[in-house]
Amino acid sequence: MKTDELIDRLSADLEPAPPWWVTRRVLIGLGSGAFFSALLMVVWLGVRPDLMDAMTGAMFWMKFAYTLACSAVLAAALIRVARPGGSVRSLAWALAAPFGLVGLMAAVRLAGADAAARQAMLMGDSADVCPWRIVILSLPILAGAVWALRGLAPTRLVLSGLVAGGCAGAMGAWIYAFHCNESAAAFIAIWYTAGMAAVAVLGALVGRRLLRW
Amino acid sequence: MDQTEARLRALMLAGLAGDAAAHRALLSELGRLLRRYYARRLGFGTPEAEDLVQETLIAVHTRRATYDPQQPFTAWAYAIARYKMIDHLRRAKVRPSSPLEEADGLFTDGGAEDLVVKRDLDRVLAQVSARTGALIRDVKVEGLSTREAAQKHGLTETAVKVAVHRGLKALTARFGGADENR
Repeated sequence: MKTDELIDRLSADLEPAPPWWVTRRVLIGLGSGAFFSALLMVVWLGVRPDLMDAMTGAMFWMKFAYTLACSAVLAAALIRVARPGGSVRSLAWALAAPFGLVGLMAAVRLAGADAAARQAMLMGDSADVCPWRIVILSLPILAGAVWALRGLAPTRLVLSGLVAGGCAGAMGAWIYAFHCNESAAAFIAIWYTAGMAAVAVLGALVGRRLLRW
Repeated sequence: MDQTEARLRALMLAGLAGDAAAHRALLSELGRLLRRYYARRLGFGTPEAEDLVQETLIAVHTRRATYDPQQPFTAWAYAIARYKMIDHLRRAKVRPSSPLEEADGLFTDGGAEDLVVKRDLDRVLAQVSARTGALIRDVKVEGLSTREAAQKHGLTETAVKVAVHRGLKALTARFGGADENR
């Protein structure tokens, strides 16, 4: 087909572009992924039975704040990489803040504990399963993020996959926090972060293949 | 070049609001710019170049809602053109990094990517005095000889050489690390 014909065809019956298209699509993708992830968490693992009591403790909210802050920053980054030429450099500091705060908190608590307590803080009761569960709970959200990006226009595919995976990991960790009864800052700083990072790496690995358009 | 940005952006915004004539004008102009952009990299008149022009126009059309009106339009369009180029090279199993770098060295006149480069250049040259900026532009960008630049600005050749050298040195110090003779 000649290029002029193509242009004629493309500009015939032009619809106005929907406003907030990128933001809407990203939020729909992440939201539906989170819905299935939450469903999976309830059916597979179950909400922790002492949720009501736990909600009065500071550590529960620390977990919440950590995972939600990472989710929010990475969702904003996802909206940026979904556009051609989008840059996320200015969000790097915003992302460093929650990691830094939780790391600092963990370091302070560890420094003030004796060796046995330190071991308990680091490993908790579920260090061996925690990151894997976070990865599994993140998969529906990663699928939602990939779906959203495929309808948008990311031009840096590996970076976009990394951001999508990181965001899915953080949201998956948030959902896992409704089940998990660990409460040491060191445990969160290590094992939650490990789960989130693993999903981010997974996203980067599949990005180039899955996000092409 | 800011006129091109302003004109294309106005057409894009009108097209996003549903103005079909503006959208058609935008695609036609982009088609010309893209034809030059791809031809310079893949060879004039090659079928691949024209395929890429069409593919990029379709992408600009179908993904137009991803344009953020707060950002320059040319940067958005260039990012798509460049992405389609890299995607093409990857599909063709050409190692994308080296041919692209060579091709990027060919920016001489016009083209959507040029607008982005020029915008950055203006910003950088604003860091030195107006005369030094003009001399650097004439000698290092436009390619005038020292003598031509000296005549144009009513200076001696030595004065031109010294001003360009000091200007580049100041810019290197300001922006750090770049090879000043490039």
